[in-house]
Amino acid sequence: MEQLIKQTLSKLALPGIAFADVRVSRTDTEGIYFQNGFMRGYGSSMDSTAIGIRVLINGCWGFAGSQDFTEASLDRLIKTAVENARQGSNFTKGKVSFPALNPIQASHHHKPEIDPFAMPKEEKTAYLAELATALKPAGKIVHSMVSAQFMKQEKYYANSEGTFSHTSYYNTLPVMEVVAAEGSQIMSRTWPGHMSAGRGGFELLHRQKFPENTGRIIKEATDLLSAPVIEEERADIIIANGHLALQLHESVGHATEADRIFGMEISYAGKTFIKPEMLGTFQYGSPIVNIYSDSTDPQGLGFHPVDDEGVPGKRVDIIKEGILVNQQTSRQIAELLGLEPSSNMKASYADDFPLVRMTNFCLAPGKGSLDELIADTEHGYLLDFTKTWSIDDNRNNFQFTTEIGYRIEGGKITGIVKEPTYFGITKDFWNACDRICGPEEWGYHSTFHCGKGEPGQIMQLSHGVAPARFKNINVSVKI
Amino acid sequence: MDNLSYLKSVLDAHPELQYEIVKRFWSTDFLRFYHSQTNYNISKDNTQLSVNIYKGKKSFNFLVDNADREKIDAALQGALDIIDKLPEDPDFVNLESDTTLAKPRTVKNNIEAIPLSLKTRILANVSAAASMYNFDIFGTFVCNYQKYRLVNSNGLDKSSATSPIYLEIKAVHNASQITVLETFGGEDFEYFDDQDFTERLVQKIKYCANPVIDVEPGHYDVILAPRCLAEFVQYLAYGMSARALDQHSSFFEGKVGEKVFPESISITDDPSDPEMIHQDYGSDGHIYRLLPLIEQGVFRAFFTNNYFAHKTGQPKNGNTASCMKIAPGEKSLDELIGGVKKGLYISSLHYMNFINPRETSLTGLTRDGTFLIEDGAITKVVNNLRFTERIERILNNVAALENRCYTIPFSGNYENFDVETVKAPHAYVREFNVSSSTHTI
Repeated sequence: MEQLIKQTLSKLALPGIAFADVRVSRTDTEGIYFQNGFMRGYGSSMDSTAIGIRVLINGCWGFAGSQDFTEASLDRLIKTAVENARQGSNFTKGKVSFPALNPIQASHHHKPEIDPFAMPKEEKTAYLAELATALKPAGKIVHSMVSAQFMKQEKYYANSEGTFSHTSYYNTLPVMEVVAAEGSQIMSRTWPGHMSAGRGGFELLHRQKFPENTGRIIKEATDLLSAPVIEEERADIIIANGHLALQLHESVGHATEADRIFGMEISYAGKTFIKPEMLGTFQYGSPIVNIYSDSTDPQGLGFHPVDDEGVPGKRVDIIKEGILVNQQTSRQIAELLGLEPSSNMKASYADDFPLVRMTNFCLAPGKGSLDELIADTEHGYLLDFTKTWSIDDNRNNFQFTTEIGYRIEGGKITGIVKEPTYFGITKDFWNACDRICGPEEWGYHSTFHCGKGEPGQIMQLSHGVAPARFKNINVSVKI
Repeated sequence: MDNLSYLKSVLDAHPELQYEIVKRFWSTDFLRFYHSQTNYNISKDNTQLSVNIYKGKKSFNFLVDNADREKIDAALQGALDIIDKLPEDPDFVNLESDTTLAKPRTVKNNIEAIPLSLKTRILANVSAAASMYNFDIFGTFVCNYQKYRLVNSNGLDKSSATSPIYLEIKAVHNASQITVLETFGGEDFEYFDDQDFTERLVQKIKYCANPVIDVEPGHYDVILAPRCLAEFVQYLAYGMSARALDQHSSFFEGKVGEKVFPESISITDDPSDPEMIHQDYGSDGHIYRLLPLIEQGVFRAFFTNNYFAHKTGQPKNGNTASCMKIAPGEKSLDELIGGVKKGLYISSLHYMNFINPRETSLTGLTRDGTFLIEDGAITKVVNNLRFTERIERILNNVAALENRCYTIPFSGNYENFDVETVKAPHAYVREFNVSSSTHTI
């Protein structure tokens, strides 16, 4: 494969091509799905290969991608990518340019503890079937689901600056859910929440303690049907990791993707309230809020030695002591903003073009345990497990409903509330953060399903978070 | 022998198996633009075989991209090795058996018919018109060409092709960032009138000369643009699926034949409208026919595929809510706006998500042009707003519908960029619940 990529790249050494890169991906996926105690689907896709060719001509990008690796197809892709750039350059104002980088040779190959693709299929189904049986509808539980997705991806990257990278990794996404219903009410509980993916193989299912939590989610979903709602207008809330990861993702992660500043994603994903002049001065959060993008940590799904346009992996502070100090950028956008590229250009598969993407996007830990934080809260709610999420196209006004809220009185959990819903304005919300738990509570919460770009791409990425408290938040939304 | 025929011949030698094979070819020419210039020109294609194999009530499925015999043999062997060891699905009865063929039609490949040079020429013209008002244009101009063939062990052998066009232009003011939107979608570019398209966009741009204000949360009379009404109905259609019924998350459970909305509300799923993107077959290969969903406010039918029709006992139709049409009313747009004493015009919606699908409660936001209406005229630009509502309540509060419909394209933007169209009029809705302001435009 390395030879094919280098040969393809050599055909792009043409006059007028200022920069070119070639990417190849080979992907295996497997998904197992149980519903209401029975297996409804077992699917696999093995050895799915793709290639993408990107060129910069006359200051304009052209891209072509395919899954066809025949010589005729590769020649067609080169011709199409070049033609796309040339035609596109007839409708431009400024020209894309960026400084050259030193070439890098990189290799990284991750091995899981339990390779899900080497494991007998019946062993995987038996494990999930046992969970599914435990969650079979009964009483007020009307629906249940258990699923696991496994992915192995091998990636090659080469560019006209001489950079070459070859990596491979395994990611796994297991989740289970029960739904309780009564009248028009419907309450769901998942475990371990919607950001339950991780780097690794089948060992993740063992670590996430699924069997130990079947009884808990059945009870909580059922109890939620008769639970009260939050009555007050405003309250202090502690957000636990099963939801805080998404709060961070939506209101800071996407907001600090700098392609949005320039309107490159306006037609689908949207814009951002951030302006270039805010860098270095904007008080995004309280002084205890430190947020960074880190593609150097191999424990997260966002790890890479080199991103998908040749920038070496980096850890970059985005918010430091509450102040917005940097952005997630591409080489083109970093040049426009006068920044160093942050190593955030990623494509889901090789036949997708790269976009500015979150990698491992993290809230740095503070101090203390979750128990200590609850004990320190006189009156408030502990919210966990995302149910509904929504944010405006400038990433400024968000509203979330979690699956469950735990009422805190006098430093102790005293009951549950259903459909806890809060909304806020991004800056006000992060400035209301007065406590973040310590490293002992910090961990990665990851997703397979971050959608962005047109044509659409679904990215796998991670968020490192520890539970945090936010003061005097508006919880008055009534449905 | 092509790969699909080869796989079929191999599977036909296993009489103990049932199977469904779908071959899909998808290609796109995708122009992304920002600040009135090219961002990316993207060409992309893929071919995929999707195979479901059943042995009694046990099943396994696999995908093969860019298939060759070696890949097919390996995937099939893997399936045959495991299928006996898998648990059963007691609700599986049979595969689709509807062998009705759609009327043959000629499908023009719009990737070839609308080359990049034509796209950039059209965009340059729109850009020139917008720039007169200090607006740049942003968006996408997409042509797809896709082919599909489905065969199964019940004798189905069906082929279909479509070539959707999707043009979305957002005009953004270079100083204030006020944004307005115009779109075109369909399969026949003859319906695209570039002069009319540009005039409609410029009319919206002119509204943006008004001052920008915030409005307080509360209940407002609103004029929903066709795109908004269409999107609410798309979300509502989630509950019209037999899958949602099976999961007890449908608003329509137990309501077939019941009046759920005012008489002015009629919704059909109609695959044959020439202005829309055509649909020959549903996902199992069932013929796609006109299906009344809401008739004068009465709920008529769930969308059912073969599996969930059996499982829920609902009549099988094979529809997938891909071609929905909302019937028009009797008033002109001017009359609708003219009837609003104080309210809002909402152009487009963003990031909606259900809170409780059984109640149709959701939250979402406005985008791409929200305007204040005072004494029957648009007077101000309003910062984007959040709403927390129930779709059922919105439709029950429809006071009037416009007397014409518009074809609105929507992209199913996960993985392949698929396009579908909905036809809808403007709607006058009373007491729409605005729950907060975004304070941004």
